[in-house]
Amino acid sequence: MTRNFIYASISACAGALTYGLAANEYVSVSITVALLGIAWIVLFMRGLHRFSGLAFAVFVIISLVSLWADVSPVLALAGVSFSLLAWDLTRFHQRLQMTNSQQDARKMERAHFTRLALVIGLSLLGYFAVTRIHVTLTFGAAALLALLGIWGISALVYRLRSLE
Amino acid sequence: MSRIALLAALIYFIILAGVGTLNGAMVALALPLVLYLLAGLWRGPEEMRLTAERTISAERIAPGDSVTVDLKITNHGEALEQVLLHDPLPAFLKVIQGASSRLVDLPAHGSLSWSYTLQGRRGSHYFSEINAIAEDHLGLIVKRALLPTSGQLLVLPSISRVRHIAIQPRQTRVYSGVIPAHQGGMGIEFFGLREYQMGDSPHHINWRVSARQDGVIYSNEYEQERVADVGIVLDGRRRVNDFSGGRSIFEDSVLAAVAVSSSLLAEGNRVGLFIYGKRNKWTSPGYGKYQRERIMQDLALAETGETQNFKSLIIPRRLFPPNSQIILISPLGGGELNLLSQLRTRGFQLMVISPDPVSFEARALGDSPSVKLAARIARLQREVLLRELRHAGVQVVNWDVALPFEQAVRASLSRPPAFLRAIQRGRGAGQR
Repeated sequence: MTRNFIYASISACAGALTYGLAANEYVSVSITVALLGIAWIVLFMRGLHRFSGLAFAVFVIISLVSLWADVSPVLALAGVSFSLLAWDLTRFHQRLQMTNSQQDARKMERAHFTRLALVIGLSLLGYFAVTRIHVTLTFGAAALLALLGIWGISALVYRLRSLE
Repeated sequence: MSRIALLAALIYFIILAGVGTLNGAMVALALPLVLYLLAGLWRGPEEMRLTAERTISAERIAPGDSVTVDLKITNHGEALEQVLLHDPLPAFLKVIQGASSRLVDLPAHGSLSWSYTLQGRRGSHYFSEINAIAEDHLGLIVKRALLPTSGQLLVLPSISRVRHIAIQPRQTRVYSGVIPAHQGGMGIEFFGLREYQMGDSPHHINWRVSARQDGVIYSNEYEQERVADVGIVLDGRRRVNDFSGGRSIFEDSVLAAVAVSSSLLAEGNRVGLFIYGKRNKWTSPGYGKYQRERIMQDLALAETGETQNFKSLIIPRRLFPPNSQIILISPLGGGELNLLSQLRTRGFQLMVISPDPVSFEARALGDSPSVKLAARIARLQREVLLRELRHAGVQVVNWDVALPFEQAVRASLSRPPAFLRAIQRGRGAGQR
């Protein structure tokens, strides 16, 4: 089941960005994105899981860049969310392969998908809530907020690394 | 790059790009990644305080037999989610029922028991530890522990029985056995005649010869049968045993070593073993069932290796005195002729049991004309080598491993070869 979800996530991620870019007449770029999606699927099929992090980063950056190309923010969000799903599930798939108990694997799949659904669901809710709030900020205020955000993320990362 | 670092880098990049372009929608794209990180923080694994207990249904099995391993993992700490418990197994053991790795949730102060069944080829394995890897559900925080356990499993080599191996070393030990000792005395086989001495049994008087002599009575003398010192050398060099495609003729050499050592020990001989493979291992000579057990255990651990040079084989005199019997079990890849000639000059009686690598490899490679031609050339080279060995006074048994060992060697090992019998006759005549 996890394998199928990975294929679906990569396809959805690449498909959303390809469609968004093609709709804005960036045809050659959209073909490149589609090819990158196929390449990611091929890498996964060949068991080259170490490239999933790189593929994830590339698709997140493409999602960002696509916003400059006037692609719909929803499609860009789909690009980020589905690439995150594919990257996470690839790691989870590797972990499942380390157990030879099918029963355990099914149980863990259910728990993992529940947790992922929660994260993605909250992300979508948060995103739609955030995009409806319009606040006009000066560059200085935005920069201050950005620094605050970076400090918060750094503190979170530090906490997570200390737990390892 | 760790998963956390990758996520953090991407979040920083999104935020900086969003602020730099004053694009709020772009900053909002970081939200799924931030929530993903927060989820890891929310339910990360606690400190692992686990212990493991292991029970194995049998410690010694034969190849093909199954053994059940019971494991009990106790969690002495807080609840752990998604713990991978992995019992590492060597390649020669295969799980046929159950699972050696589990991915489970462990409740606080709870325990988990499970079992799995193994089957294996020849080898030995110490179950020293279980790997425990705990992660949060999103795999951001990973904690590892090694849980010490105990237990050993020995898969002994297959046993092939050979009824009798006819060896004729120049020197035997003092204890009675079945090896002809080239000395007159108590025995079954006729050895010679000598003048009657006081105490000789009247049954042993040779009346026919005595009647032809004038006033002298002759007694029959029989050949004494004693036990002998036998050193078995198992050649485990990778270059002569291992072939392409992971195939190896070494298992057949091990089987031959088991059969030969068992047969010789059953006849009361003092048998030692030298394994010349991954690790050079001497099993000092000994007698009986205990020695058989030691040899079986060492053969269970035998592996091929590639660092050794066969020229350096030195047989300690204190273990095997000159004139004792040495049996080399080797596919004979070349370079043995000098060594064996040297051993002959030192007085050892030599026998070579050689699993045939040419037939073994040719069968695996198929039936194409080029394979046939190559096999023919290799066979000729091998025949030349075997002939040179025979000329050097070495008894050679060429074993095509497609045939069962006992069947293949019955004819050649049940009685000494003609040249040895001739030597013995000559020696007996000389002594008389």
